[in-house]
Amino acid sequence: MDKLAEKLKADAAAIDVHISDDLDRRIAASLQGVEPERPSQASPRSRPALFWWASSLSGVAAALAVIAIINSQSQTVEPPVAVAETSPVNEILTPVIDWKTESAMLTQPLQRELEDLRSDIKKAEEKVKQDIGL
Amino acid sequence: MTDELQLISAAKAGSADAFADLVRSYRLRLLRFLLTRCASYADAEDALQDTLIAAYRYIHSYDPRWRFSTWIYRIAIRNAQKIRSESVVEFGDLSDEESDPMLLCINASETNNLWVSARRVLNDDVFAATWLRYAEDMSISDIAKALDRSDSWTKVNLLRARKALDIEMNKENNGSETYG
Repeated sequence: MDKLAEKLKADAAAIDVHISDDLDRRIAASLQGVEPERPSQASPRSRPALFWWASSLSGVAAALAVIAIINSQSQTVEPPVAVAETSPVNEILTPVIDWKTESAMLTQPLQRELEDLRSDIKKAEEKVKQDIGL
Repeated sequence: MTDELQLISAAKAGSADAFADLVRSYRLRLLRFLLTRCASYADAEDALQDTLIAAYRYIHSYDPRWRFSTWIYRIAIRNAQKIRSESVVEFGDLSDEESDPMLLCINASETNNLWVSARRVLNDDVFAATWLRYAEDMSISDIAKALDRSDSWTKVNLLRARKALDIEMNKENNGSETYG
């Protein structure tokens, strides 16, 4: 040990402290009044590093599988269909759909609400007229 | 060391008596260290009490790969910082001989206690690192853990502290420049 280290060690020991009886009692009483926290009360432990590696690898594998599937589907070329072979649509036999029914269904509740409001206004007007004696 | 581990496991199981036995040998050393960090003897005692309570409460978080002294000093350093940040007294005021608890605890014959100079020329963390190194014989890595610093920071600052304290030791006339 060199001179400086010796001096520092000796000087630290020269700082004269003592634990008073009062402090001793305080510490003992405090410790008796404290319950050590259980591990379950502590913050959750972080996952092991292996978990992150496994999840990263499985993610990469899934991404590669998706890319492979998409590429294999785009590479399959459908055979060209000859224009002459397509069957002509028989326009006479195609059924005509009545599209008006759907729009009527959508606005029906609002129209009913409007009618109810109008009748309420009319009733209110009549009541006011009766009250003022007209 | 085995006894210490047995006491730690008993304390983890909820034995306050085992914990009291465990920290018995640390109490004086911690109080001496805390005295150099606090504005009064009463503050140092409070810091010691808080340190021991916190250590007992969170004993389950103690990792046996650490030395117990490193772990408990880490708590003590944090408590001292907390008490000092709450206290109105500034660090510079500690040099007042009438109120400085450290000076009051140094024997009158010990006229040139180097820790008084150390506190003047080193900043808080470097002072703590120097104390742990020379008063507690802690290793660099343990000091780094206790202060939550890197090993390289600890090495460099201990070296600089040594140079500053060498000058202080060899010269009666101390400079007022604060290192750190």
